[in-house]
Amino acid sequence: MKKFLAILLSLVMVLSLAACGGGSGGETTPPADSNTSEPAGDQGSDAPETKTVKVGLICIGDENDQGYTYNFIRGKEAATEALAAKGITVKWVTKWNIKEDVSCEDANIELADDGCQLIINNSFGFEDHMLKVVDDYPEVEFIACTNQGSWNDGRDNTHNAFANIYEGRYLAGIVAGMKLQQMIDEGTITADKAVIGYVGAFSFAEVVSGFTSYFLGARSVCPSVTMKVQFVGSWSDATEEANAASALADMGCVMISQHSDNTTPATTAQSKGVYHTGYNNDMISVAPEASLIGTRINWAPYFEYAIEAVANGESFDQDWCHGMDEGAVVMTDLNEAIAAPGTAEKLAEVEEQLRSGKLQVFDTSTFTIQGAKLESAFALDTDGDFTPDSEEAVFDGAFHESYFQSAPYFNLPIDGIERLNEAFG
Amino acid sequence: MKEKKTPLIRLAKRDGMEGWKVWCIRFGSILFALLLGALVMGLAGASPVTAYGTMISGALGKKSAIRQTIKIAVPLLGCALAIAPCFKMRFWNIGAEGQITAGAVAASYFALFWADRLPSPVLLVVMGLAGAVAGGVWALIPAFFKARWNTNETLFTLMMNYIIIGVVRWLQGGPWEGRKGSQIIPQFDKAACLPRVLGVHCGWIIVLVLVVFMHVYMNHTKHGYEIAVIGDSVNTARYAGMNVGRVMMRTMFLSGAISGIVGFIVASGANNTLYDGVAGGVGFTSITVAWLSQLNAFAMVAISMLLAVLSKGAETLQTRMAVPTSISDIITGILLFCMLGCEFFINYKLIFRKNSHKEAAKS
Repeated sequence: MKKFLAILLSLVMVLSLAACGGGSGGETTPPADSNTSEPAGDQGSDAPETKTVKVGLICIGDENDQGYTYNFIRGKEAATEALAAKGITVKWVTKWNIKEDVSCEDANIELADDGCQLIINNSFGFEDHMLKVVDDYPEVEFIACTNQGSWNDGRDNTHNAFANIYEGRYLAGIVAGMKLQQMIDEGTITADKAVIGYVGAFSFAEVVSGFTSYFLGARSVCPSVTMKVQFVGSWSDATEEANAASALADMGCVMISQHSDNTTPATTAQSKGVYHTGYNNDMISVAPEASLIGTRINWAPYFEYAIEAVANGESFDQDWCHGMDEGAVVMTDLNEAIAAPGTAEKLAEVEEQLRSGKLQVFDTSTFTIQGAKLESAFALDTDGDFTPDSEEAVFDGAFHESYFQSAPYFNLPIDGIERLNEAFG
Repeated sequence: MKEKKTPLIRLAKRDGMEGWKVWCIRFGSILFALLLGALVMGLAGASPVTAYGTMISGALGKKSAIRQTIKIAVPLLGCALAIAPCFKMRFWNIGAEGQITAGAVAASYFALFWADRLPSPVLLVVMGLAGAVAGGVWALIPAFFKARWNTNETLFTLMMNYIIIGVVRWLQGGPWEGRKGSQIIPQFDKAACLPRVLGVHCGWIIVLVLVVFMHVYMNHTKHGYEIAVIGDSVNTARYAGMNVGRVMMRTMFLSGAISGIVGFIVASGANNTLYDGVAGGVGFTSITVAWLSQLNAFAMVAISMLLAVLSKGAETLQTRMAVPTSISDIITGILLFCMLGCEFFINYKLIFRKNSHKEAAKS
């Protein structure tokens, strides 16, 4: 009994000691924190007045993916820098590796409770969960990137945003097409062997819109090109993406492109001795002999625009979508060593035409559906059955992608593209 | 030297430790775990006191935080109640994860396809019943095999989890998919969502009712008595004329049914949709809850709240102090380990070899 009390007593003593030790640690850390944050404030004070905005960012992955989320982090950093120059300090709170389920709702509540004035959800599947939170925090602005339900839901504090990535896809297609045409001209392949293999995530409008614009870009410079699409059924599955790329190369595809998160299609293309164009990130470093160019969304202009509006207490667009005009879509470096001669000049020329609106990517005179010209197609779904039923997208000789809403809605099977499978379609 | 050497430490079963001592050991182990956790946080570069403070204020500091914490605790508590009778019977049901999912699937079917045909209260009752039946049947399958052919229930129930989760994946990408290619089942109609009471979906009321039910069932009914006897000795139960197989199947059905109701609560109340992670590990974490509370239904309320506080606190810790989530997982793990481990010291005592230095001097 005595022994037991003795043990108990000593335990209490050890604990109280530890508590004291911990206490002193607790006192030293906060000053260190405020030290680091103060200089940031000082930097901003060069401008007439400093404003601080607290912004939450909810990510489906983390920056190590070198793809989708990494691309958001780049945008975040560039926007922070640009805003600092305008005297706006951004305090970011980032939640990593959030799943597209109730944990996203929890993350939104968590960030709103933590005092964030603007909360950015970076993945398509986050929107439904975000929308459950927004009414409880009317003073907080919420953004669901790449989705489409927020901007027209009758609320003022919900937003969607995307970029005209089809413009970048089109340009990447031109680079691929010029390479294929060069191979035909040099006699490496015959005209009918100019086949592109495309690794897609799902048979989903965003993906369909992407590979169609890519294909149209390629065909604008290489008329005999055809394309095979293999869906892998996942946005990010390194092994499956590699398998799909490998299978496509074995089927005779001499050019690989992708709408999926990993770099494995690029490395597979290199090991199979075929060419590749990428997405989200510059893939030349992992596949220097195969990767020609990549395209990515640059989120910085949008982040800058939205955060500045919040800092100034202004409202901002509920559905934002820009492309090359605002620098929201950018091309990664062209691999001059292996690209066809004259590619850079051609790129500059077409980019200018896209910017000025002279060239339409989905020009209805450049493609057919079951042999017929596209005369009519709806853009938006208004009754919730997931089939577009309103807003005529075809006018002035082109299908207007991302015109009525930011999220892509081109989901038509055009001639020349063969789908090898349908992923959960 | 010829004498048989006694080992340095021996274990002996303790019996009848005084109640207050038991609780001292338990609190001591929690404090020890907090100390170890502080060490880990220190290594990660966060001040332990601030970190613990952040965790507690993050979990209980605000109304909305408390609501979130309760939302986490509800399925943990419900599921711990579900597996308690199985464990009492020494039937190792580790398939609660799958039984929750099965219940959620059945409830979701009615939420998706019957929402426009039934008034909301009726719909919710139907969803709950469907969830209970589906969860019960999913649990009954391994129990039947165990009763009939004495198959291993641990493996069987575990495997059943993967099957039903696979079914949900198929539903998500196939017949129940909303927008083409999205892999997402649409959100339920308002009528199919559990209403909120005091800011949290009313699942908390359902599980509190279940607490009382389970307490009475386990301690004051013939069924509960049979379960206890089988848990102590199957042969005794047989000798007493109990139909062991029947009791097993009955108990597993009940267990699965409660898990199924939890699945309904989670899908309808918290998620408002169905996806493959609907159980989210609750089926496993609740085993810890059940053991820590020694299968006492009322203790489960406290333990599940404790775990919920830890889990919500860990989230806030990551948000406010930029500590990686894995650090908070480690701390939760240490705490659970110490809490479960201390039961060892309650049941056994260590006897050190006496006069050890004298013996050393002789030799």
